[in-house]
Amino acid sequence: MTAQAMHYRRLIGRWFRPAYIILVPLSLVAFLPFIWMIFGAFKTGAEIRRIPPTFFPEHFTLDNFRTVLHDPNLPLLLFYRNSAIIAFSNVVQVLFTSSLFGYIFAKFRFKGSGLLFWFILATMMIPSQLTMIPGYLILAKLHLINNLLGLIIPAAIDPFGIFLFRQFAHSIPNDLLDAARVDGAGEFQIYRRIVLPQFGPALATFGLLTFMFNWNAYLWPLIVLTEQKVRTLPIILTWYSTRMGNKYHLTMAAAVLVVMPVLILFMFVQRWIVEGITMTGLKT
Amino acid sequence: MSIRRWFTFRGVDAAQKRFIAFTVIPLVLYMGFWTLFPLLWGFALAFFRYSARRAGGPFLGLGGDNPFVGLAHFQAMLDFSPDAPLNVRTFHIGVKVTLLFAAMVVPLNLMITLPLAVLIESVHRRMRPIFRTAFFLPVLAPSVGVAIMWGYIYHPQRGLLNAILRKILGHMVVINWLGDPKLTVWGIPVALFAILIAYLWQDMGYNLVIFIAALQSIPDYLRDAARIDGVNAWQMFTRITLPLLMPTIQLTAILTMISAFQIFDLVQVMTDGGPKYQTQVLLLHIYNYAFRFQRMGWAAAVSVVLFLMTLTVSLIQSRFLKARWEY
Repeated sequence: MTAQAMHYRRLIGRWFRPAYIILVPLSLVAFLPFIWMIFGAFKTGAEIRRIPPTFFPEHFTLDNFRTVLHDPNLPLLLFYRNSAIIAFSNVVQVLFTSSLFGYIFAKFRFKGSGLLFWFILATMMIPSQLTMIPGYLILAKLHLINNLLGLIIPAAIDPFGIFLFRQFAHSIPNDLLDAARVDGAGEFQIYRRIVLPQFGPALATFGLLTFMFNWNAYLWPLIVLTEQKVRTLPIILTWYSTRMGNKYHLTMAAAVLVVMPVLILFMFVQRWIVEGITMTGLKT
Repeated sequence: MSIRRWFTFRGVDAAQKRFIAFTVIPLVLYMGFWTLFPLLWGFALAFFRYSARRAGGPFLGLGGDNPFVGLAHFQAMLDFSPDAPLNVRTFHIGVKVTLLFAAMVVPLNLMITLPLAVLIESVHRRMRPIFRTAFFLPVLAPSVGVAIMWGYIYHPQRGLLNAILRKILGHMVVINWLGDPKLTVWGIPVALFAILIAYLWQDMGYNLVIFIAALQSIPDYLRDAARIDGVNAWQMFTRITLPLLMPTIQLTAILTMISAFQIFDLVQVMTDGGPKYQTQVLLLHIYNYAFRFQRMGWAAAVSVVLFLMTLTVSLIQSRFLKARWEY
């Protein structure tokens, strides 16, 4: 055997595994629903109605996107803005409270600290539907229904985040904190200048997860936001698809506009999201 | 007791006390108002006939037009006669559908994700992220988008599924996957299977990445030693990998089950509980009764039942795991 052939054999042996025989077709099937949605968005209304349906669009058209974007009832930018306001606010406040109280529960003992931490842990076990109805009633009393604040104010504390950052804070040496105190740093300064940088990548990872959960949230926004102008993207998407009925080319164009931009962004930061999920075992 | 005495911690220092007071007191007030208070209110509601539209008594609207009914909601749940009121009958369907759904999701999910994780781990390091992305992408998508995509796949005339079946069988296929109440397999509605497949597709990425991480944490020397002893790939999986993954598998199974109990988005968008309540899961029942029919007392009582179901599973899990770790 020539050296050239040997080289190719080694290359094939290194790159080809029997696993590919299963993995390649399976991952194509896993992509299929996305592809079906995207192709649907590029078909004409006439083609969408055809029986049996076509798989590839016969001629790609951008008209569906034009129709969706010009629909006066569907100011998509507004809904992007609503979703973004909620998600960003919640990421900022949850990262702040989680890191601050994680640090406090790791490094301070005060009367009732054990009991309080136990209570916070216990609330992780409570499914959200138990507080859903009274939560709605409270928001109604405070006139926060149909107000983006209704999705922000009750979401300031994430028990899981506090638990997570407490674990990280344990690894910060007490000497470091004491040294800062001797140097005359205030307590909040210590949190901001010393503790927060120590959390570093965990903040990014957990922030990304929080963003994703908020961005994709459905049930709670569905209850709180019933007026058109305050709706978020997931809610507007169901509203639009119900209204459009069988006009799947338009629904799919709207779905592509709602789902794809952020999905592509998420794809780029996927590594950190995966890290976050494996680090926390968190589920939606 | 003075506030000074109240905060006693090591390294007693006024600045630290102030810091704790300024942060923890707001936390306690916040958690009290947004967590503890709604929780107690939620339990209390289960014992009232309650609607937000009626004024009711002076305290939280309880009493008056929203009368205390004691355990009546829970007693009603035990009425299994065929002429029980609609909310009770649909509640029974809800419990059945939710349990059935969770019971199908957990084994199917594990049977797909675990071998898939092993397969992905077996290919070249550079290729792994490509496959992982293929199966993980749906996790990142909003479930509403997923529901709409799958609704279009299942569409009787325009859907991909019937088109594929037509290609395979050679004749026209018009199966209404999500809307035909007479369509059942082994007594399980086909619409539920249809939702199950969409759910598995969306959800399996989670367990996949958890299993991949667990596989990576198995030290190489264990596999190397087995390889020297001449075991084949199957033995490697059943004798080495599987036992070492057991704690992860158990935890994942429980988490998967608990989140399957809470399924809402896919069902609400794809079938809205239909056809004929066949896919009406408990959370959808709660949502409908609380926010569409304004029967919040009943909905709160059903929430308590769903909570108890979740709690039971969690308790079984903690027993399970403790038993494993004791020896």
